[in-house]
Amino acid sequence: MEQATGMPSPAAIEAKNRLTANFRRRGIFTAIMSGVTYGNYTAFMTLAMSVGIWAKFYGEDSGFTPFAVAFMLSALGAALTDTCSAVWSLLIAAYKGKLGDFWRSFATKPGVILAFAAMIGGPLASTAYVIGLQQAGSIVVPISALCPAIGAILARILFKQALTPRMMLGILICFGASALIGISSMGGTEAHPNMMLGLLFGFCAALGWGLEGCVGGYASSMIDPEVSIAIREVTNGLSNLIIMVPILGIIGGASPIEVINSAITDWDSMKFFVIGGFACYWGFMLWYKGNAMCGAALGMACNGMFSFWGPFFCWVWLGLVFGIDGWNMPPIAWVAAILMVVGIFTIATNPLAIFMRKKEG
Amino acid sequence: MKPLNYAILKLFTDGREACPEDVIEALKGEYGHFKALNKRDVLTSLMTAESNGLLEESRFELDEEGEVRMFFRSNEEGIATINKYIR
Repeated sequence: MEQATGMPSPAAIEAKNRLTANFRRRGIFTAIMSGVTYGNYTAFMTLAMSVGIWAKFYGEDSGFTPFAVAFMLSALGAALTDTCSAVWSLLIAAYKGKLGDFWRSFATKPGVILAFAAMIGGPLASTAYVIGLQQAGSIVVPISALCPAIGAILARILFKQALTPRMMLGILICFGASALIGISSMGGTEAHPNMMLGLLFGFCAALGWGLEGCVGGYASSMIDPEVSIAIREVTNGLSNLIIMVPILGIIGGASPIEVINSAITDWDSMKFFVIGGFACYWGFMLWYKGNAMCGAALGMACNGMFSFWGPFFCWVWLGLVFGIDGWNMPPIAWVAAILMVVGIFTIATNPLAIFMRKKEG
Repeated sequence: MKPLNYAILKLFTDGREACPEDVIEALKGEYGHFKALNKRDVLTSLMTAESNGLLEESRFELDEEGEVRMFFRSNEEGIATINKYIR
């Protein structure tokens, strides 16, 4: 109730401050959880691509050309994860009574922009990410975490958003960390002979996701995040499976329909794609939602912590739970990943301001 | 029929000031059967729009149950942006 002067009462001010603080906390928690679920998406997709028919696909007797192995299989892995994620997103939208809004939003301007951003973040960036993972291992995860830095630069160019010296310092830290990972990887390439190629593809993924976060984030400030993610995943799943995989398969001299059919009917790997797709749904939905709730800069920085969660969950699921060798990270990579997270935070937020705020509080 | 979130934002393009209860009241005729047309979800949509510069907080007060009631409106730039993307 307002006081006679028209000013809100102290109780109202306190309640309102509590509400806005709670909203901000929820936003940060949402964005952090997007990184956690993203790490699980990475782990389960990688796991799916190492068992069942995939062991044969990547075996010496697969009959695939090196191009088909490097590109078509990577695209297929991303396509199956995105398609499973699309099914999850439609099921969840239907359960929450948002399926109608999904169809209605698709044909609108923000929906088209979102679908365009999804094409960049999906067929292009996701495939590049999977190729990177296959060629260089989980070291690609921190590289792809450069996307907030790239997003900040693109936001400056496309939307005239702020790019302060502090943010540029953060970008420099991120690039320094990438260089550290690249240099340290050169000495130990026995497990991943195409390490540098993988790192390059990881960077391409970061470029695509930076653009997606920048463009798609703006569109999703108008569309419900659970509807946004359905648009993203349906666009991604279909374009990957129907366009990307066949094109790469034909170029690589393989029969894409036969390969897709073999992969889809292989339950040993598909069960992990289904789990990976579920984690993928949450990873990207929470990313959109977190960006919208607490601003793209902070949201993307919190999400960028997947540079920890990716290798962490690859190590936990693939290394510890399933006993697959080669999923330990060299210590220097962990140091670089931490450095990268510091850089991402420096881009997104002023650490001094956080401490000042705490002091004031 | 527009998506619910679009309809919520579009309400503000006539310059009105509204709280979540006002939004629900204004939209319940067409969107009354939508699960997301509830106070919590509408407030989240409004606060999210505020975070992205589409709306701004105009005032707040305590309601009869002692809970804070926030009012929002859209400024000229916000209205232009909403109208540019949502027809």
